[in-house]
Amino acid sequence: MKTLPSLREKKRYIVFETTPQLRIKRKELLAEILNSACSLFGDVGLSEMNLLLISYDGRYGIIRCALNKTQETRAVLACIHKIGEARVSILVLGISGTIKGAREKFIKNMLMREESSSS
Amino acid sequence: MFSRRFYDFYTHPMDSITRFAYIAKKYGYSGIAVFNSPITKYIENKPENFSIYEGMEISCKPSMKDEIKKHKTNIILVRGGDEKQNRIALKNGIDILMQPIEFNHVLARIAYDNSIAIGFDIGCIIKYRGYDRVKTLRIMRTNLKYVRKYNLSMILTSNSYTCYDLRSPREMVALANLFGMTKEEAVDAMSTFPLEIVRRKSPSYVQEGVEII
Repeated sequence: MKTLPSLREKKRYIVFETTPQLRIKRKELLAEILNSACSLFGDVGLSEMNLLLISYDGRYGIIRCALNKTQETRAVLACIHKIGEARVSILVLGISGTIKGAREKFIKNMLMREESSSS
Repeated sequence: MFSRRFYDFYTHPMDSITRFAYIAKKYGYSGIAVFNSPITKYIENKPENFSIYEGMEISCKPSMKDEIKKHKTNIILVRGGDEKQNRIALKNGIDILMQPIEFNHVLARIAYDNSIAIGFDIGCIIKYRGYDRVKTLRIMRTNLKYVRKYNLSMILTSNSYTCYDLRSPREMVALANLFGMTKEEAVDAMSTFPLEIVRRKSPSYVQEGVEII
C-alpha cells in the first residue's frame, strides 16, 4: 500500500567502492554490514538507520540509509575490515538523494575516468 | 572544509611504502609518517604533491633521553601506558603521546607546557569488536575531556599496517564522532596539528617565538 507523500521517510543513498583481497559475494557483504552496524549501534540504532543494500557488483555498491544517519552509516562502513577470509576496505565515493543520481554522478563518472586514463 | 591537506601520522607499511603512498593519495591524504623503517630509498618514487616523513617509536625506559637525542630530526612517538610511564615520556620532550591509558590533569598540564600532542588511535575502533572497543572508546572520551580543558593539540591516526587498514579522512571524521569529537576538531587533528609538528621538526626552527632571518 502506498503511503502519503508527507509521511514518507526521507532517504539518502551512499555510493561506495570496495577493494577486497578476494572476490566477495553480495550476501556476505550484506551480512557483514548488518553485523558491523549491530555491534556498533545495537538493535535500536539499526532500526532507526533504515539500512538496505541496493546493489553491489563486486566493486561498486549503493546502500540506503535514513536522511539524518549518513554520518553513522559512514562509521558502520568504515568499521568493516574483514569479510570471511578476505581483508577489505570500503571507500565512500559520495551521497545522493536518488538512486539514479547516485549511479550517474559517482559510478558512471568513475568508470569513464578509468577508461580515459587507460586509453 | 575538506579542501585542506590531510596527514596520517602513524603508519607502519609492511611491504612496499611506494604502493602504500599511492593508495593513501587516492584516499585523499597529502602525506604520511612511516614509523620504525628507513624511507630513504622510497623517497624518489613517491607520488607528486605527497610527502613522506620518518618517525621513531620508542618505549619508556631509562635510556630514552639518548635515543631522543639520536633521532632529533624524526617525529618521536611514545605509546602511552600507565601513569608512571606517561609522566616519564612527557618530561623527556617527545612529540606525540599515543593513546595514554591513565591520563589526568597533572599530566595534561605537563603536556601543555612541553607542547606535546595527544594521539587518538582510530585503528583500534576498526579492529576491535565488543568489550575491547567499549574500553577503547571510554579511554578516548576521557582523553578528549582533558584535551578540551587544557587546550592540547591532538592527532587522529589510523595505525595501519597494510593498505586495507587505511580509511579516508571523511570516514575518520565519522569514526571520531563516535566518541564525541566534533567535525572541526577532527579536521584540525588531521591537518593543522600534524603540520605544526612538521614545522617544529624543521632545521630552521629554534624555539617558539625565535626565528632565523
